[in-house]
Amino acid sequence: MEGKHLTNHPHLIEAESLSVKYPNGELALEDVTFTTDASTFLAIIGPNGSGKTTLVKTMLGLLKPCSGSIKVLGYDAKREYNAIRRLVRYVPQRDHIQHNVPMKVKDIVLMGRLLKKSPPRFASDKDVDYARDALRRVDLEELWNQPFPELSGGQRQRVLVARALAGEGPILMLDEPMSGADHDSQVRIVDALHEYHEESQANIIMVTHDLNPIHIVVKDVLMLNRTVMGIGHPCEIMDTELVKQVYGPTAYIVELDGHKYCITHDSGIDDHDR
Amino acid sequence: MIASIFDLILTSPILQRALVASLFVAFIAATSGSFMVFRGLSFLTAGVAHAALAGAALGLLLQASGFAPWFSPVLGAVIFAVLMAVLTAYAGERGIAQKMEVAVGVAFALSMSIAVFLMYYLPPAMIPQIWGYLFGDLLLLDNLDIVLLAGTALSLILIVILFKKEFVYVSIDMEGSTAHGMSARGYHYLMIIVAAIAIALTAKAVGAVLVYAILVAPAAASNEVLKTVNGVIIGCFVLALLAMLIGLASSFAILASPSAIAGIVAALMYVAAIQVKRLRR
Ligand SMILES: Nc1ncnc2c1ncn2[C@@H]1O[C@H](COP(=O)(O)OP(=O)(O)OP(=O)(O)O)[C@@H](O)[C@H]1O
Ligand SMILES: [Mg+2]
Repeated sequence: MEGKHLTNHPHLIEAESLSVKYPNGELALEDVTFTTDASTFLAIIGPNGSGKTTLVKTMLGLLKPCSGSIKVLGYDAKREYNAIRRLVRYVPQRDHIQHNVPMKVKDIVLMGRLLKKSPPRFASDKDVDYARDALRRVDLEELWNQPFPELSGGQRQRVLVARALAGEGPILMLDEPMSGADHDSQVRIVDALHEYHEESQANIIMVTHDLNPIHIVVKDVLMLNRTVMGIGHPCEIMDTELVKQVYGPTAYIVELDGHKYCITHDSGIDDHDR
Repeated sequence: MIASIFDLILTSPILQRALVASLFVAFIAATSGSFMVFRGLSFLTAGVAHAALAGAALGLLLQASGFAPWFSPVLGAVIFAVLMAVLTAYAGERGIAQKMEVAVGVAFALSMSIAVFLMYYLPPAMIPQIWGYLFGDLLLLDNLDIVLLAGTALSLILIVILFKKEFVYVSIDMEGSTAHGMSARGYHYLMIIVAAIAIALTAKAVGAVLVYAILVAPAAASNEVLKTVNGVIIGCFVLALLAMLIGLASSFAILASPSAIAGIVAALMYVAAIQVKRLRR
């Protein structure tokens, strides 16, 4: 089967002089070229407005390149987005989720599986088992029957991560899954994703503007600022010259336990948590 | 007392029609109103009811002028409702409710202006028909209205049974639903256009005022206090039916328009629901 073959494609992402423009003329990505191998745990980092969300949406075919191309596991995002969407489980950036529908936590987690079915999308016992297991991974099993809109911001993020973990498909894409989460919730999310990646070899693509909490679990880092500023292993990216160039002159590197971490003026501050 | 009420119901076709109509309108409120509230679009109900008014005025004008005698007011109402729905759905394609709210506001103002503009050119004898769209009356229904309501209610129930999950997913996370391979955009348009047609047809039967009182307030009230999607749908049905029955009953006692009383009762239900929610905290 062709689909099977392409899922074993050696490259997770292949971007070729990709540029993306918004209708208002804003050139959010310009001449982006890079390749990452499968299977990986990839962090996409960069300051606010650097095009991280734009890149993820382009990979999903939600935005179209104005020039160049990007492929996900061999499928072209502009033409074969349907094939890509079959492979992906996606957690959008936080402000895209509405809270005025009275869903239970279990309904949200099950959504990760039912969205990939065709109507009438009934949940089988297997679906329920996967959903429960996913919620256990983020340590929120006891909230199974609770109303989703009544959770705290950090709990909601963990439930959405569970939604991705419950689903099927070799790629998880998470857009700032840790925004609005406190330290504890962040640790739960990172651990859950790390554990899942090691177990299943599923590719994880995580957008974040703070690499430090995931530094030791990610394999590759893509640093964006409208174009590719750097790509490589976490410690290669943490280069003093580079971070000063991207994050401004106040950014610097510290070494801890043999790993390099970047400190910027907004480290630890979450500007999505208004 | 009870016996005499039954007597009245059995002997009065007007009252029978009013009761049957209330039942169908409650079904329409539960299936259309609930999802509009989930989608953050309750304002669309008021907007479409008024767009229907402009459409009906256009239909009447085309008939009166002999320009297009086949163009009935109902057809005009449905066309205007669908146009407004498409405009709103287009504004919300990225899933953002605020943008749709603005689109509804603009289309609302536009269609009211068109309605007033067209009414100026209508023969005075036809004006009451237009007002019928605004202030219909549960006690003035004919059999055709009942058929219209029944057809609308049954189609809506069928569509909601088939696509409830999809409509809910689109309301919660349109972008995520698309990214997982669901044709969220199609369901987004389906949900809004179907609701708009239902609102226009219901407005034709019972009047725009009752439509937005009964399609919005009970759904909003049950969404404040109930915690599952099915709960809200059923709660909305019960509250809507109750409001209309109270309206009908008290219209005998104090000689008032049942639609007006039902509207006031529905609004009070919403206020009560907010209080209940506050007390729970
Ligand atoms: N819908 C839009 N219309 C116009 N411009 C947009 C739109 N969305 C984003 N942009 C612009 O594109 C650029 C990249 O935005 P993007 O959302 O991809 O950044 P980001 O790296 O995800 O930022 P953040 O860390 O704030 O999430 C920004 O300059 C932004 O202003
Ligand atoms: Mg972003």
